Amino acid sequence: MPLLEAQNLTKYFGGLAAVNRVDLAVEEGEIVGLIGPNGAGKTTCFNLLSGFLPPTAGTITFHGQPVTGLKPHHIVARGLVRTFQHTTLFQDMTVLQNVLMGLHLHSQRGLGQVLCSRRSFPQHEIDRCYAVLAFTGLVELADQLAKSLPHGHQRTLGIAMALAVRPRLLMLDEPVTGMNLDESLRVMQLVKTIRDRGTTILLVEHNMKAVMGTCERVVVLNFGQKLAEGTPAAVSSNPDVIAAYLGTGVTHA
Amino acid sequence: MKSKLRTVAMLAVVLLALILLTAVGGNYYAHLLALVFTNVILAASLRLSLMCGQLNIGHSAFMSVGAYTSALLAKNLGVPFELALLSGAALAMIVGVAMGYPSLRLRGVYFAMVTVAFVEAIRLIVQIWVSLTRGMSGLSGIPKPSLLGMVLVTKPDQCYLALGLMVVTLLILYKLEYSRLGLIWKSIGMADNLALSLGVNVAAYKLLAFALGCFFAGVAGAFYAHFVRFLFPPTFDFLMATNILVYNYVGGRGHFWGPIVGAAFLSWLPEIFRGSEATRQYETIFFSITMLLTILFLPGGLITLPGKLTDLCRRRTEGVSSPSSAVVLPGQRVAVHGNPEG
Amino acid sequence: MTFALLIQSMVIGLSLGSTYILMALGLTLMFGMMHIINFAHGAVYMLGAFVIYYVFAQWGAAYWIAFFLAMLLLGAFGFVIERCIYRPIKGGVEPTLVALIALTTFLQAMGYPVFGTLDKHVPTVFHGMYSILGVGISAERLMIIPVAGVLVLGLYLFINKTKMGAAMRAIEQDKEAAALQGVNVHVVNALAFGVGFALAAASGALMAPIFKLDPMMGEQPLLKAFIIIILGGLGSIPGAILGGLILGQIDSIVATVMGLEPAFLLSFVFIILLLLFKPTGLFGHEV
Repeated sequence: MPLLEAQNLTKYFGGLAAVNRVDLAVEEGEIVGLIGPNGAGKTTCFNLLSGFLPPTAGTITFHGQPVTGLKPHHIVARGLVRTFQHTTLFQDMTVLQNVLMGLHLHSQRGLGQVLCSRRSFPQHEIDRCYAVLAFTGLVELADQLAKSLPHGHQRTLGIAMALAVRPRLLMLDEPVTGMNLDESLRVMQLVKTIRDRGTTILLVEHNMKAVMGTCERVVVLNFGQKLAEGTPAAVSSNPDVIAAYLGTGVTHA
Repeated sequence: MKSKLRTVAMLAVVLLALILLTAVGGNYYAHLLALVFTNVILAASLRLSLMCGQLNIGHSAFMSVGAYTSALLAKNLGVPFELALLSGAALAMIVGVAMGYPSLRLRGVYFAMVTVAFVEAIRLIVQIWVSLTRGMSGLSGIPKPSLLGMVLVTKPDQCYLALGLMVVTLLILYKLEYSRLGLIWKSIGMADNLALSLGVNVAAYKLLAFALGCFFAGVAGAFYAHFVRFLFPPTFDFLMATNILVYNYVGGRGHFWGPIVGAAFLSWLPEIFRGSEATRQYETIFFSITMLLTILFLPGGLITLPGKLTDLCRRRTEGVSSPSSAVVLPGQRVAVHGNPEG
Repeated sequence: MTFALLIQSMVIGLSLGSTYILMALGLTLMFGMMHIINFAHGAVYMLGAFVIYYVFAQWGAAYWIAFFLAMLLLGAFGFVIERCIYRPIKGGVEPTLVALIALTTFLQAMGYPVFGTLDKHVPTVFHGMYSILGVGISAERLMIIPVAGVLVLGLYLFINKTKMGAAMRAIEQDKEAAALQGVNVHVVNALAFGVGFALAAASGALMAPIFKLDPMMGEQPLLKAFIIIILGGLGSIPGAILGGLILGQIDSIVATVMGLEPAFLLSFVFIILLLLFKPTGLFGHEV
């Protein structure tokens, strides 16, 4: 049984179908890429899968349980975590505090939250934060404000925060956008390592090299519909996919 | 540790000064100080909503609920002051939850407009329900506050009560802000979608902040009712709500002490103009000019003034601007050094 | 309620609604373009009324000259505010709102020393009563309807037929795209302030002969305008017009039946419900 399964996933905005009857399945341990030209509906898919948008139709199942229509924080609690396309961080907090927020679900709750003074968070939480930072290569930056980081590090921080949640499936929305070659290679290697440690990955990316080099399976969307699916090699030689990206040369009325 | 001791010492000094001022100032200053303390409670409790990124212009509505509830319980049913005050605050909180629960998913201007509508709706309800509240004639004859059966007869005594209420409120709010709960609230204020994506139940935490704010607004209202002993519905209007918001903005939105500084400064300073009848009308003018100037030239609020001045001095002596917020070494205590401009 | 009373209420409602529309138009225009709610709109209304007082009632100039002057002066004031308050403020919508609140407090507070505390009245401009279907309506109130109509028409033509109006519509849709197309966003924003303020001033000027003047007189119209723009949809001009008409009728008819305060309460409760279930109002855009 797939870890994440979406059937007939549809989202209408007014009269426009941003996502139209998409079937998607991600098996445990896979790295799946979701690609398509701009406006194909990839981020909308992410928003639907993570509960940020309610679907107009269709069902979503995660780890065998239906999650359609659940609020985002409930879906996160089940182990499905997403990052954002546009860099979203707690800008005025330090890198360490950002990752600490990722531990929310695993931390003391209720009265513990109130009595727990910020000046003395439990040591095991701090340790875990440093572990995540070490894993993502951000340890030296732990006490810098998030907004002072260069772009590449900011996006990596986003991934680190999502990791702190201990996801079963991590949905990465354009993790290497805006990065140079070195950085993107580093991050994609990180993604592979994350998968090797047991987290399934679904990622959206425009950078074709990154996608082809990392993903085992690729799903192509165009105009909200699934266009093709298969290995990177198969998909990149699919004429429909090529046409979607390059256009067919027909002038529109 | 040293700076913490220094802060506590400074606060103790301030507290002592306030107590002394009340003791020797006579009725006039006691009255004034008590109102300043009330404003501080209002401003500091509004901060909870503002931390979560909610532009709340409705605080006076809940002050009104607290005030009328406590007043009516004490006057009509003989309920002792302590109980009346707590009931007033509790009802204010309950009304807050009832109104907040559906509204908190609204964002930005829409939320602000709903809070404005709350204020007006509650004001009008109080005005219309004449049989209960005496409406526009005003509710008078509200009993004086009392503690453990002893009535606080003099203004200075009542002022001490206000001081006590303020100190307790600030202690609670301080503890909340610097706990993990405060961190969660601030994260919601900074990027609520991100918080949501990390599993934070944003709606619940926003509601909590809003409800607690309403509770303390109710406390302030209840005290006010028994202190001024006359309630008139238009007092708790849109204008008062905007004033409380302004205390926060002028004092500084990024820091715990911001609303306190703002409320104290803006409540107290017009005193300078109270000398003669001629200058009295300039109070409000001064108030509003201060607001404008602060927003235009000191966007972080008055609380950033010392920092800016030290920067200015440092720049003059060293020729270079100082680095922002101290860097805490790894392994040390994690404290939030939020940028005051935030 | 008799039929005659109903008709009278409806006509008065139309008259009231017309002034509300003028207030709401400026407010919704400014929101659409700059995403701010102009909390100072009530003060501008008040200033418009006071210009009429000084220029028409005290100085003796013709009413229409005073009216035109009110719109001109307060429109210019709008430019000044855009330049001195709106533009310098960084940090978004909230500090701007607070600054506008401060401006309102300042203007209202200045009102007392500058205008004095004695009651002020502006004498009736249009004398006489008209009879409609057997009920009397004062000419004063009746005049408001066509004047407001002319202004609304003027605004419509401006927004839809002029280049500046097109620039405004462009900015409302997408500020960055408009700027990239060469629209000078600052100038157009200033124009929005100017037009908004001028309309608010017109509203105050029209109501000056009807109500007593005092520095706080703009508060109620401001709150009414809030209700209207939410009802009509924030940023929508047709919404502001329809909303204004509806509220005018509610205020007139419901107030006659239930009393002023309950009517006001009703409109606020309605707005709360509207915001909770359909925040975009009648014509607003999805946020």
